[in-house]
Amino acid sequence: MATMGHNNLNAKLVLLGDMGAGKSSLVLRFVKGQFLEFQESTIGAAFFSQTLAVDDATVKFEIWDTAGQERYHSLAPMYYRGAAAAIIVYDITSTDSFTRAKKWVQELQKQGNPNMVMALAGNKADLEDKRKVTAEEARVYAEENSLFFVETSAKTAANVNDVFYEIAKRLPRAQPAQNPAGMVLVDRPAEGSRTASCCS
Amino acid sequence: MYGTEGGIDMALEFQSHIPILRPSIHARRANLTVKFQDLYGFTVEGNVDDVNVLNEVREKVRQQGRVWWALEASKGANWYLQTQISSTLKSSLTFSALGNAVTLKKLIRKGIPPVLRPKVWFSLSGAAKKKSTVPETYYNDLTKAVEGKVTPATLQIDHDLPRTFPGHPWLDTPEGHAALRRVLVVYSFRDSDVGYCQGLNYVAALLLLVMKTEEDAFWMLAVLLENVLVNDCYTNNLSGCHVEQRVFKDLLVKKCPRIAAHLEALEFDVSLVATEWFLCLFSKSLPSETTLRVWDVLFYEGATVLFHVALAIFKMKEEELLTAHHVGDVINILQKTTHQLFDPDELLTVAFDKIGSMTTTTISKQRKKQEPAVMAELDERLRRLNSLRADNK
Ligand SMILES: Nc1nc2c(ncn2[C@@H]2O[C@H](COP(=O)(O)OP(=O)(O)O)[C@@H](O)[C@H]2O)c(=O)[nH]1
Ligand SMILES: [Mg+2]
Repeated sequence: MATMGHNNLNAKLVLLGDMGAGKSSLVLRFVKGQFLEFQESTIGAAFFSQTLAVDDATVKFEIWDTAGQERYHSLAPMYYRGAAAAIIVYDITSTDSFTRAKKWVQELQKQGNPNMVMALAGNKADLEDKRKVTAEEARVYAEENSLFFVETSAKTAANVNDVFYEIAKRLPRAQPAQNPAGMVLVDRPAEGSRTASCCS
Repeated sequence: MYGTEGGIDMALEFQSHIPILRPSIHARRANLTVKFQDLYGFTVEGNVDDVNVLNEVREKVRQQGRVWWALEASKGANWYLQTQISSTLKSSLTFSALGNAVTLKKLIRKGIPPVLRPKVWFSLSGAAKKKSTVPETYYNDLTKAVEGKVTPATLQIDHDLPRTFPGHPWLDTPEGHAALRRVLVVYSFRDSDVGYCQGLNYVAALLLLVMKTEEDAFWMLAVLLENVLVNDCYTNNLSGCHVEQRVFKDLLVKKCPRIAAHLEALEFDVSLVATEWFLCLFSKSLPSETTLRVWDVLFYEGATVLFHVALAIFKMKEEELLTAHHVGDVINILQKTTHQLFDPDELLTVAFDKIGSMTTTTISKQRKKQEPAVMAELDERLRRLNSLRADNK
């Protein structure tokens, strides 16, 4: 429950990246603490929500886990439009997936919300012996593009929650009289108005 | 014969030996969530009321069966075929044919009994006609010709087989995978523009369960993509799908203005949920018999029914949706609603009686209007991506 002086944020977060990089696995790990080999394939994107408490705020993530072949990328703008945060995922055992990740970063830089908090996640870090993308290379790229970078493993859970926590910390806090795109200030009384005509 | 027999047996099994479910008194008292199999073998979760609804649906299906059999007895086995021929040749329209056409439309909206679906769908959708224009051996020849070929489409299909309705007692077996694989692979060679598009796996899987033979499922898929649905739903950046989404948004504003305004205020884009409905033709969201009831109408009346049904889902939950304050709440309401729509009549009554009529001509005009905007938007995105690529290499 929101208390006085406490920020309650809703933040839209989108996961983008090559097919098979581990987007769904990261979300499943974060939301349910599980790891599965087979999941029903998603058409377009799957929605999840999860709340995190960080320092001064409670952040409720509205997560869009995008999916699909190349042709589905034409749907991506609908998922990243108005997003407060994005996690761009690649697979450290695939250079193609890293190239793909860079393209997503560029698309978001040009088209996304300018205040978007972006994280680059090098997933499958447990597969060290199959590594094709060095952490150094990714770190340099991330620094150049002001992204938050971390290597993760949805399988072992390494760093998975950390990505979401770090994003939650970096989200711009809602300021009075300002409501940045993708952030909905919900610091209203719990018994707040339930009228049908809602205004934004 | 390419192992189609397994499919036949399994699908028949679901229809003939369906145990009547009797929820235990304990389940009733505790209002527990129970798992049960529906008419097409899918495991679904619901409460005791859902089980009861599904039992009522089974009974209604049996009654519909009796109605259809009685009509066959009085009008002849293929009476519904005559309605189609004469309704296109208006000059030779006889009173009895006109009467039959009216009866048929009503009858189909009330549902085709599962045992008759293969036959009725195959003739009324135009699949039979399509098949008759090529040699008898077309499907088998093509199946043999493409065996062992590896393409981007086949790789994607192989990736998706185990992820298509996992856990289904026939689809998720080696036999089911093999049959679904052949239908999708053969189609990917028939139309290289479509090739394989994710979403078609779910559609083809349900077609297999209904039609019972691979070859008929294949022709239903062909007629669906080539004649029933709007062009380019599954090709070319899914441009047809983008067009349908825009048309749908306009219809929602017209038919459900309060909901549209409320969702707009929440910055909720209805395509976030409706895209999957249109690409999978509701097969991933609605219970199987409800989906197939929608498809009954789809194959006879055309793609306009998809708008009716999508609008109906919103309409049914109008009051609840208007109290939702977050995107997450809206999605939960819609997902819960669609998953629990075990009674097809509940949905279709709203779809046809409460939404009001929309003619195919009106919808076609709307599509024409939206096409240039969609093309411009997609081109713009491609241009931008290409310029990004050029900048960086
Ligand atoms: N070893 C390993 N495998 C992973 C990891 N994350 C995902 N996978 C596997 O990679 C495959 C693709 O994962 P998925 O989450 O479906 O990828 P998506 O297409 O990006 O959603 C699946 O077989 C996962 O089990 C990881 O951290 N380590
Ligand atoms: Mg995924």
